[in-house]
Amino acid sequence: MKQILGGHLVGKYLREIEKVDTVFCISGGHIESILDSFTEYKIRTIDVRHEQAAAMMAHAWSVYAGTPGVCLVTAGPGFTNAVTGIANAYLDNAPLVVLCGKHPLRDDLKGALQEMNQIEVVKSITKWSAICYETKRIPEYLNMAFRHAVEGRPGPVFLELPPDILNRKIPLEDAPIPKRNNKKYTSHPDDEELKKAAKVINKAKKPIFLGGSGVGLSCCDSSLSQFIDRSGMPFILMNYGRGELPDNHPMSLWDCGNVGVQLGITQADVIVAVGFRFNWLLQSGAIIPPGTKVVRIDIDPHEIDRNRVADVGLVGDASSVLTHLTPFIKRKDHKTWIENLRNASYAFIGSELEAREVPSNPIHPIRLVAQIQKYVGDDAVYVIDGGDTQYFGLVGFTSKEKAGVMATAAGLLGCLGTGIPFAMAAKLARPHKKVVLLHGDGSFGFNSMEFDTMVRHNIPVVCVVNNDQAWGMIKHSQELSIGADRLQCCELGIRPYDKMVEGLGGYGEFVTKDEDIIPALKRAFESGKPACINVLTDPTVTSPATPLFYQSLKME
Amino acid sequence: MSLSLLLFILSLKLKAASKTNKKFKNYIGTIELKILIKTANNERGRLFVFTKGKVSSMKGANHVSDAALVWSDPVTAVRVMLKGTDEASFKAAAKGKLKVEGMAYYVQWFNDAVKIIM
Repeated sequence: MKQILGGHLVGKYLREIEKVDTVFCISGGHIESILDSFTEYKIRTIDVRHEQAAAMMAHAWSVYAGTPGVCLVTAGPGFTNAVTGIANAYLDNAPLVVLCGKHPLRDDLKGALQEMNQIEVVKSITKWSAICYETKRIPEYLNMAFRHAVEGRPGPVFLELPPDILNRKIPLEDAPIPKRNNKKYTSHPDDEELKKAAKVINKAKKPIFLGGSGVGLSCCDSSLSQFIDRSGMPFILMNYGRGELPDNHPMSLWDCGNVGVQLGITQADVIVAVGFRFNWLLQSGAIIPPGTKVVRIDIDPHEIDRNRVADVGLVGDASSVLTHLTPFIKRKDHKTWIENLRNASYAFIGSELEAREVPSNPIHPIRLVAQIQKYVGDDAVYVIDGGDTQYFGLVGFTSKEKAGVMATAAGLLGCLGTGIPFAMAAKLARPHKKVVLLHGDGSFGFNSMEFDTMVRHNIPVVCVVNNDQAWGMIKHSQELSIGADRLQCCELGIRPYDKMVEGLGGYGEFVTKDEDIIPALKRAFESGKPACINVLTDPTVTSPATPLFYQSLKME
Repeated sequence: MSLSLLLFILSLKLKAASKTNKKFKNYIGTIELKILIKTANNERGRLFVFTKGKVSSMKGANHVSDAALVWSDPVTAVRVMLKGTDEASFKAAAKGKLKVEGMAYYVQWFNDAVKIIM
């Protein structure tokens, strides 16, 4: 009778049932037998330098690879280090599967090494969490974890696996491996509800379509394309929805930047919001004029009337709902409305558009972004991390890739430090694509040791640091709120981040002149190594995101 | 009403509000910001200066500012500003009669400040 170690049941299930080929982790004694199972079942491990990065990479893997990302962390500090990444995945609705070590149950309450109540900590930031107590039930628990991660509104799940079950052998036949039903269950509203929505949309003279992460997680490029083509609506795709249709689509408003989004929302007579939360960036819905009709489509019924009562709400998976809604939509042409939106937006962002074209000294961040875009093009994945930096990257980069431009700190957690893990995961998931990471110098500090991970695992991401020598968004916000003469904890100074990366075995360059940006990028890509181009930019430039941030925290 | 007169009246109202209107005072807070409203030919204009809760103003179109609202002509400027709606500004911008120099957000901030006192 064949025997199998509990830890090996983990690898067997991951590989054979979920087809997992990559796990993000750091080693640890409590999880040793699981790590050994990865050798046995040929699962690639990307071992990082801080568990936060493992959780963030697994989260990002779910975005770029389209399958749940798996991270494995050890008990105690391994777990607590991962908490920020788990919380970020929770607020981003990402299907992250966290497998975690635990102190031996045998030694519970005896002062065991790394003993703590992890489940209580993680309950409020996961969709599902559990402890497995029996070796034979490991596959069953893993099966539950994966189902909870992906079904309905996705989210992170957490499974604790103590050594008492991992380091014990049982007959293989005692641990039945559940089959994984890969059928996607979808729901969509009935025809009457669809007709109500269509009636509102068909009457619209100035509509706008807002697609959020729900669009990206639903993988609805085909149904979305048909809906947009038929309705003639201009659209903005944000967060994980960006790139579901390419940024250069004639109806996409990304060329108008955030100002175009704001104008579109405030001037539209009908807003169709799909998988899109009305959060603080939309002033929790207050930005939408009272007379505007709102059609909301979301997989979570609680979102339909959140922060703004919808005129029509359609609950279901974005792709499924759009597929069923489109036949009721009349073919329309909103050319004049789109032209007006573009003209007005350009009138408001003229200075920004001009700054992209003109060399500047010191370098303007939007000029830096424009030069990167000019050299790299739109057949690439762009990742942006920072405060002001994320604004410039979001409006300046365009890509034809799914999730091709992502500001990783622009989620609800506002989680700086996500850029490097996301860029690494993007390069691993899409190895043939160029991956460019635009980083603020402040946020660079959180996970920059992961350049060591990039070097060890040959993940040649090119990182450009928009180095304004400060926590720019905070600094400029403090200038508005408490005054430039009382700045606190915002200055960083000039630091040779490029040399740090060189020291870890990567490629580095320091750039201060506009004309050196593109040659440095060329050399970085040609090096074939993980690279850091440290670019000094104008410390006085403020992005529009800063006053928005400042205003959002003011109290009456 | 001429544009110069309209801008002058606006400056008086903003100054008064900075002393008496609680909501307005809270809105402008300690911000330090210079907003210029002018015509494209630089013949008419006025600078509005916010300095840590105080509002001051200077006549003329040739001032350094953080952001400027530039009108194609004074007639359009007066007509749209008296309407005081975002829609009117949007239409003017769409027709090429209004543009922003500098950061658009500061102009939006200024417009919202004006809305409080109107």
